Amino acid sequence: MAVRTAVEVELTGAIQTVAPVRERFWSLRRMLTPIVIVAVLLALYLWIASIPLDSIMQRTLNWDYILLRTREHLVLTFAASFLVAILAIPTGIIASRTTSRLLRGTILTVANIGQATPAIGFIILLAIIWQIGFQTALIALVAYSFLPVLRNTMVGLAQIDPNITESARGMGMTPGQVLTRIELPLAVPVILAGLRTSLVFAVGVATVATFINAGGLGDMIVNGLKLQRFPVLIAGAVIVSCIALLIDWIASIAEDVLRPRGI
Amino acid sequence: MNKRTMSLIGVLAAGAVALTGCSAGSPAAEEGSAEGELSGLTGEIGAKDFSEQYILAHITSQLLNANGADTSANTTVVGSANVRSALESDEFLGYWEYTGTSWITYNGNTAPVAGEEAQFDATKEADAANGIAWLDPAPFNNTYAFAILSDKGEELGVSSLSDIAALPEDEQTFCIESEFSTRDDGWPGLKSAYGIDVPDSNVALLDTGVIYDTTAKGDVCNFGEVFATDGRISALGLTVMEDDESFFPVYQGGFTLKQSTLDEFPAIADVMAEIAPMLTTAEMQRLNALADVDGEDPEDIAADWLEEMGLI
Repeated sequence: MAVRTAVEVELTGAIQTVAPVRERFWSLRRMLTPIVIVAVLLALYLWIASIPLDSIMQRTLNWDYILLRTREHLVLTFAASFLVAILAIPTGIIASRTTSRLLRGTILTVANIGQATPAIGFIILLAIIWQIGFQTALIALVAYSFLPVLRNTMVGLAQIDPNITESARGMGMTPGQVLTRIELPLAVPVILAGLRTSLVFAVGVATVATFINAGGLGDMIVNGLKLQRFPVLIAGAVIVSCIALLIDWIASIAEDVLRPRGI
Repeated sequence: MNKRTMSLIGVLAAGAVALTGCSAGSPAAEEGSAEGELSGLTGEIGAKDFSEQYILAHITSQLLNANGADTSANTTVVGSANVRSALESDEFLGYWEYTGTSWITYNGNTAPVAGEEAQFDATKEADAANGIAWLDPAPFNNTYAFAILSDKGEELGVSSLSDIAALPEDEQTFCIESEFSTRDDGWPGLKSAYGIDVPDSNVALLDTGVIYDTTAKGDVCNFGEVFATDGRISALGLTVMEDDESFFPVYQGGFTLKQSTLDEFPAIADVMAEIAPMLTTAEMQRLNALADVDGEDPEDIAADWLEEMGLI
């Protein structure tokens, strides 16, 4: 047991020639993004509080409404990303494992279509054919953000030095063990990068959920746009952007934390 | 490598040229008589984001062009207020507006004027102060309304809006759209006028087009916010609830344009007067149904209708 572990460590360490200098985790550079986000949101709040709000604007520019919509937006985003993770990563593994070019081609084509189709058209079509509401929005979001994770899983697995997997096989590991103990840990940085991209996509596209009663900050944006109340429109857009930045930042921290030692 | 690069650039260049040819070809000017009374009039006829507006914009543009103008219909702008400001900034030549919308939303009044004619006169006067002229209106009244599946309506025994508040709370379910949900002459006002007090979970916010199908399906909401001239109402078997408290303002349709444009081309009024009286609520429903139910292109609907009426 100890021998195998030592050899594993040697193997994973073998692809790296120089250990990187680990700087302090919570440096100023790392905290820069959240500081900027907080500053922007504060500026937004001060601006909205200072301008006169007519009856139409008051219906959307109040804490209850904003918090409700933000919560709906976040729930949708995270639920979709979670689903994408548990669906796209296994699909990526299958696609990279299979020898059937037809299967791989089909999987990639479907994922491509999911992202290329205009999200708003797709979600409304789905709502009319099936039903409106949260589940439909979830499906549309998953379809849209599927491709980055799928692609990155395939690429992450493909870029592993075949000598490593061969050595692992030679040591007597089953293909399953090779996958879980060697290949996936090595592919984790790339897969996480894909997940990070997919999360940011999901935040942006979750704005169209408003059209089928799935809530979200898109409601503020559409409202402000249709009635030409620019503070509402700007508030909605700025909050969505800040959420996207924040999620990207959290994901980057997760990337660094979850990166296996020695890579 | 050089040859391959060159051929790749060649393919891209050819593709780019081909794509420019794909620009939306809505034939702007008809083969209208260059000697028409409106020759020299150019511009875009604007439209809001629903079929009735598209059809009216195309009808107007084609009719004006048949009389010598060179106009096109612009159906890309979303939201009443945006179309109005495009007119005010001279981006649009004119567009079909509704008396109620102008009175309440643009001129900031909170209470509508009772009576169709009175509402029109008041609106015309208010907008004249802003340099916007109203031509003689058409008879159709595209007001907000709530519709329910005809069968369901009979089952629940509702025929007017004041019947709704008496229903059990879980039958008081509504589908409305974004603009209506916060407009003063929309959902907030309706609730207080008819004493409807339901939790937000009873109200679904949807895109305008999705409301009709969802109401027809009947499982999410009983009452859908519809427009009175929409063709889908009868096509989907919906019944409109009567507005017995006269809460909803009158939304009579009329063509609006800058006073300065009208002064320069007074013949516009005569040309538009040819079609205005023919546009009744029933006729608009019929035309709208062609677009929303049969899926025809608004431009074709406009051309066919004008031909039918013998105007082009």
